[in-house]
Amino acid sequence: MAEEVKIVMFCCNWCSYGGADTAGTARMQYPPNIRVIRVMCSGRIDPQFVLKAFREGADGVIVAGCHMGDCHYDAGNYKLDRRMRIIYNLIEELGIERERLYHDWISASEGEKFANTVRMMVAKIKDLGPSPLKEQIEA
Amino acid sequence: MADKIKIGTMWLGGCSGCHLAIADFHESLIDILELADFEFSPVLCDTKYDEIPELDVCIIEGGIRNDENRELAELLREKSNLVIAFGTCAVYGGIPGLGNLHTVDELTTEAYINSVSTPNDEGLIPNEEVPHLENRVRSLPQAIDVDLIIPGCPPRSDVIAEAVLTLLKGGTIELPTTNLCEVCPREKPPEGLAMDFVKRQMEVGKPEDDLCLIAQGLVCLGPATVSLCGAECPGIAIPCRGCYGPTAKIVDAGAKMISAIASDYRVGDDKTVDPEEVAGQLDDLVGTFYSYTLPAALVPMKMQKGGK
Ligand code: SF4
Ligand code: SF4
Ligand code: SF4
Ligand code: FES
Repeated sequence: MAEEVKIVMFCCNWCSYGGADTAGTARMQYPPNIRVIRVMCSGRIDPQFVLKAFREGADGVIVAGCHMGDCHYDAGNYKLDRRMRIIYNLIEELGIERERLYHDWISASEGEKFANTVRMMVAKIKDLGPSPLKEQIEA
Repeated sequence: MADKIKIGTMWLGGCSGCHLAIADFHESLIDILELADFEFSPVLCDTKYDEIPELDVCIIEGGIRNDENRELAELLREKSNLVIAFGTCAVYGGIPGLGNLHTVDELTTEAYINSVSTPNDEGLIPNEEVPHLENRVRSLPQAIDVDLIIPGCPPRSDVIAEAVLTLLKGGTIELPTTNLCEVCPREKPPEGLAMDFVKRQMEVGKPEDDLCLIAQGLVCLGPATVSLCGAECPGIAIPCRGCYGPTAKIVDAGAKMISAIASDYRVGDDKTVDPEEVAGQLDDLVGTFYSYTLPAALVPMKMQKGGK
Protein backbone atom coordinates (compact mmCIF):
# COMPACT_ATOMS: atom_id res chain seq x y z
CA MET A 1 0.00 0.00 0.00
CA ALA A 2 1.28 3.42 -0.91
CA GLU A 3 0.37 4.62 2.57
CA GLU A 4 2.70 2.18 4.27
CA VAL A 5 5.58 4.50 4.99
CA LYS A 6 8.78 2.94 6.29
CA ILE A 7 10.78 4.47 9.08
CA VAL A 8 14.19 3.28 10.17
CA MET A 9 14.90 3.88 13.84
CA PHE A 10 18.36 3.61 15.36
CA CYS A 11 18.27 2.95 19.12
CA CYS A 12 21.19 2.78 21.48
CA ASN A 13 21.49 -0.47 23.36
CA TRP A 14 21.46 0.91 26.89
CA CYS A 15 18.53 3.32 26.91
CA SER A 16 16.39 3.70 23.82
CA TYR A 17 16.33 0.03 22.90
CA GLY A 18 15.31 -0.58 26.51
CA GLY A 19 12.58 2.00 25.95
CA ALA A 20 11.33 -0.07 23.02
CA ASP A 21 11.32 -3.15 25.25
CA THR A 22 9.40 -1.33 27.94
CA ALA A 23 6.81 -0.22 25.39
CA GLY A 24 6.60 -3.82 24.21
CA THR A 25 6.26 -5.50 27.61
CA ALA A 26 3.63 -2.94 28.60
CA ARG A 27 1.78 -3.79 25.36
CA MET A 28 1.64 -0.19 24.27
CA GLN A 29 0.19 0.26 20.82
CA TYR A 30 2.13 2.05 18.13
CA PRO A 31 2.07 1.85 14.34
CA PRO A 32 4.09 -0.97 12.77
CA ASN A 33 5.90 1.30 10.31
CA ILE A 34 9.25 1.29 12.07
CA ARG A 35 12.23 -1.00 11.75
CA VAL A 36 14.46 -0.71 14.79
CA ILE A 37 18.21 -1.10 14.42
CA ARG A 38 20.12 -1.47 17.66
CA VAL A 39 23.53 0.14 17.98
CA MET A 40 25.67 0.10 21.10
CA CYS A 41 25.56 3.87 21.56
CA SER A 42 23.95 6.74 19.68
CA GLY A 43 27.51 8.04 19.36
CA ARG A 44 28.06 5.17 16.92
CA ILE A 45 25.63 6.68 14.44
CA ASP A 46 27.60 7.81 11.47
CA PRO A 47 25.95 10.18 8.98
CA GLN A 48 26.52 7.35 6.48
CA PHE A 49 23.91 5.26 8.35
CA VAL A 50 21.28 7.94 7.96
CA LEU A 51 22.07 8.55 4.29
CA LYS A 52 22.13 4.84 3.56
CA ALA A 53 18.69 4.42 5.13
CA PHE A 54 17.28 7.17 2.90
CA ARG A 55 19.03 5.73 -0.13
CA GLU A 56 17.59 2.28 0.50
CA GLY A 57 14.11 3.71 0.58
CA ALA A 58 13.38 4.82 4.14
CA ASP A 59 10.71 7.53 4.21
CA GLY A 60 11.92 8.74 7.58
CA VAL A 61 14.74 8.12 10.04
CA ILE A 62 14.74 8.40 13.83
CA VAL A 63 17.85 8.34 15.96
CA ALA A 64 17.38 7.78 19.68
CA GLY A 65 19.92 7.71 22.50
CA CYS A 66 20.19 8.10 26.26
CA HIS A 67 19.33 11.38 27.92
CA MET A 68 22.23 13.77 28.38
CA GLY A 69 24.31 12.57 31.29
CA ASP A 70 23.08 8.99 30.98
CA CYS A 71 25.15 7.74 28.06
CA HIS A 72 26.75 4.44 29.00
CA TYR A 73 29.95 5.64 27.37
CA ASP A 74 29.76 9.06 28.98
CA ALA A 75 29.41 11.44 26.03
CA GLY A 76 28.46 9.56 22.86
CA ASN A 77 25.12 11.32 22.72
CA TYR A 78 26.71 14.78 22.95
CA LYS A 79 28.79 13.97 19.89
CA LEU A 80 25.76 12.56 18.10
CA ASP A 81 23.80 15.70 18.93
CA ARG A 82 26.41 17.91 17.21
CA ARG A 83 26.54 15.54 14.26
CA MET A 84 22.77 15.45 13.83
CA ARG A 85 22.54 19.25 13.56
CA ILE A 86 24.81 19.10 10.53
CA ILE A 87 22.99 16.10 9.03
CA TYR A 88 19.65 17.97 9.09
CA ASN A 89 21.27 20.73 7.04
CA LEU A 90 22.96 18.24 4.73
CA ILE A 91 19.84 16.30 3.85
CA GLU A 92 18.05 19.57 3.21
CA GLU A 93 20.76 20.56 0.72
CA LEU A 94 20.16 17.18 -0.88
CA GLY A 95 16.48 17.95 -1.27
CA ILE A 96 15.29 15.63 1.51
CA GLU A 97 12.89 17.46 3.83
CA ARG A 98 14.47 17.86 7.26
CA GLU A 99 11.19 16.69 8.81
CA ARG A 100 12.05 13.21 7.57
CA LEU A 101 14.78 13.05 10.18
CA TYR A 102 14.34 13.27 13.94
CA HIS A 103 16.48 12.61 16.97
CA ASP A 104 15.56 12.48 20.62
CA TRP A 105 16.55 10.99 23.96
CA ILE A 106 14.54 8.05 25.28
CA SER A 107 15.47 6.22 28.49
CA ALA A 108 14.86 2.53 29.17
CA SER A 109 11.91 3.37 31.40
CA GLU A 110 10.25 5.69 28.90
CA GLY A 111 8.14 3.17 27.00
CA GLU A 112 5.46 5.81 26.62
CA LYS A 113 7.88 8.30 25.12
CA PHE A 114 9.11 5.62 22.72
CA ALA A 115 5.58 4.87 21.53
CA ASN A 116 4.71 8.57 21.28
CA THR A 117 7.85 9.32 19.28
CA VAL A 118 6.96 6.58 16.80
CA ARG A 119 3.35 7.76 16.54
CA MET A 120 4.42 11.37 16.05
CA MET A 121 6.96 10.46 13.37
CA VAL A 122 4.65 8.10 11.48
CA ALA A 123 1.98 10.83 11.38
CA LYS A 124 4.51 13.39 10.18
CA ILE A 125 5.87 11.12 7.45
CA LYS A 126 2.41 10.09 6.27
CA ASP A 127 1.72 13.75 5.90
CA LEU A 128 4.86 14.29 3.82
CA GLY A 129 4.20 11.20 1.74
CA PRO A 130 6.66 8.51 0.73
CA SER A 131 10.18 9.58 -0.18
CA PRO A 132 10.76 9.48 -3.94
CA LEU A 133 14.53 9.32 -3.46
CA LYS A 134 15.13 5.63 -4.07
CA GLU A 135 13.06 5.64 -7.22
CA GLN A 136 14.87 8.73 -8.48
CA ILE A 137 18.28 7.23 -7.80
CA GLU A 138 17.37 4.00 -9.56
CA ALA A 139 15.75 5.74 -12.53
CA MET B 1 57.02 -3.62 -33.18
CA ALA B 2 54.43 -6.28 -33.20
CA ASP B 3 54.24 -7.19 -29.56
CA LYS B 4 54.12 -3.78 -28.04
CA ILE B 5 51.22 -3.28 -25.67
CA LYS B 6 48.39 -1.26 -27.17
CA ILE B 7 47.24 1.62 -25.02
CA GLY B 8 44.21 3.77 -25.68
CA THR B 9 43.04 6.85 -23.84
CA MET B 10 39.67 8.55 -23.90
CA TRP B 11 38.03 11.58 -22.36
CA LEU B 12 34.38 11.51 -21.36
CA GLY B 13 32.72 13.82 -18.84
CA GLY B 14 35.93 15.49 -17.68
CA CYS B 15 37.88 18.66 -18.33
CA SER B 16 40.89 17.13 -20.19
CA GLY B 17 43.11 18.02 -17.23
CA CYS B 18 43.80 14.35 -16.67
CA HIS B 19 45.04 14.04 -20.24
CA LEU B 20 47.32 17.00 -19.66
CA ALA B 21 48.77 15.08 -16.74
CA ILE B 22 49.62 12.31 -19.24
CA ALA B 23 51.21 14.87 -21.50
CA ASP B 24 53.31 15.83 -18.48
CA PHE B 25 55.00 12.41 -18.22
CA HIS B 26 58.33 13.89 -19.33
CA GLU B 27 61.11 11.30 -19.49
CA SER B 28 58.88 8.49 -18.25
CA LEU B 29 57.17 8.70 -21.62
CA ILE B 30 60.31 7.26 -23.21
CA ASP B 31 60.19 4.26 -20.88
CA ILE B 32 56.52 3.77 -21.55
CA LEU B 33 56.90 4.03 -25.32
CA GLU B 34 59.53 1.31 -25.22
CA LEU B 35 56.91 -1.09 -23.99
CA ALA B 36 53.73 0.29 -25.49
CA ASP B 37 52.17 2.36 -28.23
CA PHE B 38 49.32 4.80 -27.97
CA GLU B 39 46.94 3.38 -30.56
CA PHE B 40 43.91 5.48 -29.82
CA SER B 41 43.95 8.82 -28.04
CA PRO B 42 41.97 11.91 -28.97
CA VAL B 43 44.61 14.14 -27.42
CA LEU B 44 47.47 12.59 -29.43
CA CYS B 45 46.07 11.27 -32.68
CA ASP B 46 43.22 11.61 -35.10
CA THR B 47 40.58 9.26 -33.78
CA LYS B 48 37.39 7.95 -35.32
CA TYR B 49 34.77 6.43 -33.12
CA ASP B 50 34.00 3.79 -35.71
CA GLU B 51 37.65 2.80 -35.98
CA ILE B 52 38.51 1.98 -32.40
CA PRO B 53 41.17 -0.74 -32.44
CA GLU B 54 41.38 -3.66 -30.02
CA LEU B 55 43.29 -2.39 -26.99
CA ASP B 56 45.23 -4.00 -24.20
CA VAL B 57 44.80 -1.10 -21.83
CA CYS B 58 42.32 1.75 -22.02
CA ILE B 59 42.75 4.77 -19.78
CA ILE B 60 39.45 6.62 -19.42
CA GLU B 61 39.09 10.14 -18.06
CA GLY B 62 35.78 11.57 -16.92
CA GLY B 63 32.48 10.20 -15.76
CA ILE B 64 29.20 9.70 -17.57
CA ARG B 65 27.39 12.98 -18.14
CA ASN B 66 25.56 12.30 -21.40
CA ASP B 67 24.48 9.46 -23.67
CA GLU B 68 27.55 9.81 -25.85
CA ASN B 69 29.81 9.27 -22.82
CA ARG B 70 27.91 6.10 -21.99
CA GLU B 71 28.03 4.74 -25.53
CA LEU B 72 31.77 5.32 -25.78
CA ALA B 73 32.43 3.84 -22.35
CA GLU B 74 30.56 0.68 -23.32
CA LEU B 75 32.30 0.46 -26.67
CA LEU B 76 35.75 0.93 -25.13
CA ARG B 77 34.96 -1.68 -22.51
CA GLU B 78 34.25 -4.16 -25.30
CA LYS B 79 37.44 -3.28 -27.15
CA SER B 80 39.79 -3.32 -24.17
CA ASN B 81 41.32 -5.98 -22.02
CA LEU B 82 41.89 -3.73 -19.07
CA VAL B 83 40.07 -0.51 -18.31
CA ILE B 84 41.48 2.10 -15.96
CA ALA B 85 39.16 4.70 -14.46
CA PHE B 86 41.54 7.57 -14.57
CA GLY B 87 41.17 10.67 -12.48
CA THR B 88 38.58 11.63 -9.92
CA CYS B 89 35.86 12.41 -12.48
CA ALA B 90 36.06 8.85 -13.76
CA VAL B 91 36.40 7.25 -10.34
CA TYR B 92 33.89 9.31 -8.32
CA GLY B 93 32.21 11.68 -10.78
CA GLY B 94 34.39 14.61 -9.79
CA ILE B 95 33.55 18.30 -9.89
CA PRO B 96 31.03 17.98 -12.76
CA GLY B 97 29.11 15.80 -10.30
CA LEU B 98 28.03 18.91 -8.42
CA GLY B 99 25.64 19.32 -11.34
CA ASN B 100 23.65 16.57 -9.62
CA LEU B 101 22.25 19.29 -7.36
CA HIS B 102 20.22 20.47 -10.36
CA THR B 103 17.84 18.96 -12.86
CA VAL B 104 18.80 18.66 -16.51
CA ASP B 105 16.32 21.44 -17.29
CA GLU B 106 17.93 23.77 -14.79
CA LEU B 107 21.39 23.01 -16.17
CA THR B 108 20.54 23.52 -19.83
CA THR B 109 18.55 26.67 -19.10
CA GLU B 110 21.49 28.06 -17.15
CA ALA B 111 24.00 27.15 -19.85
CA TYR B 112 22.05 28.17 -22.94
CA ILE B 113 19.69 30.88 -21.78
CA ASN B 114 20.71 32.52 -18.50
CA SER B 115 24.42 32.56 -19.16
CA VAL B 116 25.37 36.18 -19.92
CA SER B 117 28.01 35.18 -22.42
CA THR B 118 25.54 33.23 -24.56
CA PRO B 119 23.45 35.39 -26.87
CA ASN B 120 20.29 33.38 -27.36
CA ASP B 121 17.40 35.79 -27.87
CA GLU B 122 15.06 33.09 -29.01
CA GLY B 123 15.78 31.03 -25.93
CA LEU B 124 16.53 27.89 -27.91
CA ILE B 125 17.96 24.84 -26.25
CA PRO B 126 19.83 22.71 -28.76
CA ASN B 127 18.41 19.23 -28.90
CA GLU B 128 19.44 17.87 -32.27
CA GLU B 129 22.82 16.39 -33.04
CA VAL B 130 24.06 17.06 -29.55
CA PRO B 131 24.43 14.36 -26.91
CA HIS B 132 21.63 14.37 -24.38
CA LEU B 133 22.43 14.85 -20.73
CA GLU B 134 21.53 11.90 -18.53
CA ASN B 135 19.51 12.65 -15.41
CA ARG B 136 22.71 12.89 -13.38
CA VAL B 137 26.47 12.45 -13.56
CA ARG B 138 27.61 8.93 -12.81
CA SER B 139 31.08 7.65 -12.17
CA LEU B 140 32.62 5.28 -14.71
CA PRO B 141 32.32 2.21 -12.43
CA GLN B 142 28.58 2.94 -12.21
CA ALA B 143 28.34 2.45 -15.97
CA ILE B 144 30.90 -0.23 -16.90
CA ASP B 145 33.24 -2.69 -15.16
CA VAL B 146 36.60 -1.13 -14.47
CA ASP B 147 39.71 -3.07 -13.57
CA LEU B 148 41.67 -0.38 -11.82
CA ILE B 149 41.17 3.09 -10.43
CA ILE B 150 43.70 5.91 -10.34
CA PRO B 151 42.05 8.89 -8.64
CA GLY B 152 43.27 12.47 -8.48
CA CYS B 153 42.18 15.77 -9.98
CA PRO B 154 44.27 15.30 -11.95
CA PRO B 155 46.40 12.42 -10.70
CA ARG B 156 50.03 13.41 -10.32
CA SER B 157 51.97 12.65 -13.49
CA ASP B 158 54.64 10.72 -11.60
CA VAL B 159 51.96 8.58 -9.92
CA ILE B 160 50.32 7.75 -13.25
CA ALA B 161 53.61 7.08 -15.02
CA GLU B 162 54.70 4.74 -12.25
CA ALA B 163 51.35 2.96 -12.26
CA VAL B 164 51.32 2.55 -16.03
CA LEU B 165 54.93 1.31 -16.07
CA THR B 166 54.23 -1.20 -13.31
CA LEU B 167 51.24 -2.47 -15.25
CA LEU B 168 53.14 -2.70 -18.52
CA LYS B 169 55.79 -4.76 -16.78
CA GLY B 170 53.10 -7.14 -15.55
CA GLY B 171 53.07 -5.96 -11.95
CA THR B 172 50.04 -5.18 -9.84
CA ILE B 173 49.08 -1.83 -8.44
CA GLU B 174 47.77 -1.18 -5.00
CA LEU B 175 46.45 2.12 -3.80
CA PRO B 176 47.53 3.23 -0.34
CA THR B 177 45.08 2.42 2.45
CA THR B 178 46.23 5.29 4.67
CA ASN B 179 44.69 8.73 4.83
CA LEU B 180 46.40 11.99 4.09
CA CYS B 181 47.11 12.82 7.73
CA GLU B 182 49.46 9.83 7.87
CA VAL B 183 51.77 11.42 5.34
CA CYS B 184 51.12 15.08 6.18
CA PRO B 185 54.10 16.72 7.84
CA ARG B 186 51.95 19.00 9.98
CA GLU B 187 51.93 18.28 13.67
CA LYS B 188 48.72 16.76 15.01
CA PRO B 189 47.68 18.12 18.38
CA PRO B 190 47.47 15.52 21.17
CA GLU B 191 43.70 16.08 21.52
CA GLY B 192 43.26 14.77 17.99
CA LEU B 193 41.42 16.76 15.38
CA ALA B 194 39.60 19.06 17.75
CA MET B 195 38.50 22.38 16.28
CA ASP B 196 37.43 25.27 18.48
CA PHE B 197 35.95 27.23 15.62
CA VAL B 198 35.54 26.91 11.87
CA LYS B 199 37.17 29.56 9.73
CA ARG B 200 37.68 30.20 6.08
CA GLN B 201 41.17 30.58 4.77
CA MET B 202 40.73 34.30 4.11
CA GLU B 203 39.84 34.81 7.79
CA VAL B 204 42.88 32.92 8.99
CA GLY B 205 45.37 34.46 6.58
CA LYS B 206 48.55 32.46 6.49
CA PRO B 207 48.20 29.53 8.86
CA GLU B 208 50.89 28.65 11.38
CA ASP B 209 53.68 26.73 9.77
CA ASP B 210 53.83 23.36 11.40
CA LEU B 211 50.47 22.81 13.06
CA CYS B 212 47.62 20.73 11.61
CA LEU B 213 45.20 22.98 9.73
CA ILE B 214 42.12 21.55 11.42
CA ALA B 215 43.53 22.62 14.77
CA GLN B 216 43.69 26.13 13.26
CA GLY B 217 40.02 26.12 12.35
CA LEU B 218 40.33 25.22 8.69
CA VAL B 219 38.24 22.42 7.22
CA CYS B 220 40.93 20.10 5.85
CA LEU B 221 39.58 16.89 4.33
CA GLY B 222 42.83 15.03 5.00
CA PRO B 223 41.29 12.59 7.50
CA ALA B 224 38.87 11.24 4.85
CA THR B 225 41.21 11.45 1.84
CA VAL B 226 43.54 8.79 0.47
CA SER B 227 47.25 9.53 0.85
CA LEU B 228 48.14 9.25 -2.83
CA CYS B 229 49.18 12.86 -3.44
CA GLY B 230 51.60 13.07 -0.54
CA ALA B 231 49.66 15.90 1.15
CA GLU B 232 50.46 18.46 -1.49
CA CYS B 233 48.04 21.12 -0.31
CA PRO B 234 48.59 21.07 3.47
CA GLY B 235 52.29 21.11 2.55
CA ILE B 236 51.80 24.60 1.15
CA ALA B 237 49.34 25.77 3.84
CA ILE B 238 46.14 25.07 1.93
CA PRO B 239 43.51 22.72 3.37
CA CYS B 240 42.90 19.53 1.44
CA ARG B 241 39.66 19.58 -0.54
CA GLY B 242 39.65 15.85 -1.02
CA CYS B 243 40.48 15.78 -4.71
CA TYR B 244 41.88 12.21 -4.63
CA GLY B 245 38.76 10.88 -3.00
CA PRO B 246 38.50 8.67 0.07
CA THR B 247 40.40 5.61 1.22
CA ALA B 248 38.87 2.29 0.17
CA LYS B 249 37.26 1.67 3.56
CA ILE B 250 35.08 4.78 3.35
CA VAL B 251 31.73 4.46 1.58
CA ASP B 252 30.74 8.11 1.62
CA ALA B 253 33.63 10.55 1.93
CA GLY B 254 31.60 13.64 2.77
CA ALA B 255 29.56 11.96 5.48
CA LYS B 256 32.69 10.51 7.05
CA MET B 257 34.34 13.87 7.23
CA ILE B 258 31.25 15.57 8.65
CA SER B 259 31.22 12.90 11.32
CA ALA B 260 34.85 13.51 12.21
CA ILE B 261 34.46 17.27 12.46
CA ALA B 262 31.27 17.16 14.51
CA SER B 263 32.59 14.54 16.95
CA ASP B 264 35.76 16.40 17.77
CA TYR B 265 34.43 19.94 17.64
CA ARG B 266 35.36 21.52 20.99
CA VAL B 267 35.59 18.04 22.37
CA GLY B 268 37.18 19.41 25.55
CA ASP B 269 33.85 21.11 26.38
CA ASP B 270 31.90 18.15 25.08
CA LYS B 271 29.02 18.54 27.48
CA THR B 272 28.67 22.28 27.58
CA VAL B 273 29.17 23.38 23.99
CA ASP B 274 26.00 24.38 22.16
CA PRO B 275 25.30 21.43 19.83
CA GLU B 276 24.14 23.85 17.14
CA GLU B 277 27.41 25.79 17.18
CA VAL B 278 29.43 23.75 14.71
CA ALA B 279 26.47 23.27 12.35
CA GLY B 280 25.97 27.04 12.37
CA GLN B 281 29.53 27.63 11.23
CA LEU B 282 29.42 25.36 8.21
CA ASP B 283 27.54 26.24 5.10
CA ASP B 284 27.39 24.82 1.60
CA LEU B 285 27.90 21.36 3.03
CA VAL B 286 27.73 19.58 -0.31
CA GLY B 287 30.16 22.07 -1.86
CA THR B 288 32.53 21.69 1.07
CA PHE B 289 32.43 17.97 1.69
CA TYR B 290 31.39 16.50 -1.66
CA SER B 291 33.08 18.75 -4.22
CA TYR B 292 34.70 15.74 -5.85
CA THR B 293 32.57 12.76 -4.88
CA LEU B 294 28.86 13.57 -5.01
CA PRO B 295 27.97 11.06 -7.79
CA ALA B 296 29.58 8.26 -5.75
CA ALA B 297 27.93 9.33 -2.47
CA LEU B 298 25.12 7.40 -0.81
CA VAL B 299 22.73 10.14 -1.86
CA PRO B 300 24.28 11.02 -5.22
CA MET B 301 21.84 13.69 -6.34
CA LYS B 302 19.38 16.21 -5.05
CA MET B 303 16.01 14.64 -4.47
CA GLN B 304 13.29 16.26 -6.52
CA LYS B 305 10.03 16.87 -4.75
CA GLY B 306 7.65 14.03 -5.05
CA GLY B 307 5.42 12.31 -2.55
CA LYS B 308 2.28 14.28 -2.00
S1 SF4 C 1 39.63 14.61 -12.48
FE1 SF4 C 1 40.04 16.82 -12.46
S2 SF4 C 1 41.62 17.11 -14.02
FE2 SF4 C 1 40.69 15.09 -14.39
S3 SF4 C 1 39.04 15.47 -15.86
FE3 SF4 C 1 38.14 15.61 -13.82
S4 SF4 C 1 38.18 17.79 -13.32
FE4 SF4 C 1 39.63 17.47 -15.01
S1 SF4 D 1 46.60 19.46 8.00
FE1 SF4 D 1 44.99 18.19 7.11
S2 SF4 D 1 46.08 16.44 6.25
FE2 SF4 D 1 47.50 17.46 7.66
S3 SF4 D 1 47.22 16.38 9.60
FE3 SF4 D 1 45.84 18.15 9.64
S4 SF4 D 1 43.88 17.34 8.86
FE4 SF4 D 1 45.46 15.85 8.30
S1 SF4 E 1 46.03 17.63 -0.56
FE1 SF4 E 1 43.91 17.04 -1.00
S2 SF4 E 1 43.16 18.59 -2.43
FE2 SF4 E 1 45.42 18.73 -2.39
S3 SF4 E 1 46.12 17.42 -4.08
FE3 SF4 E 1 46.09 16.14 -2.23
S4 SF4 E 1 44.06 15.19 -2.21
FE4 SF4 E 1 43.97 16.90 -3.66
S1 FES F 1 24.75 4.44 25.31
FE1 FES F 1 22.85 5.41 24.91
S2 FES F 1 23.58 7.21 23.93
FE2 FES F 1 25.48 6.32 24.48
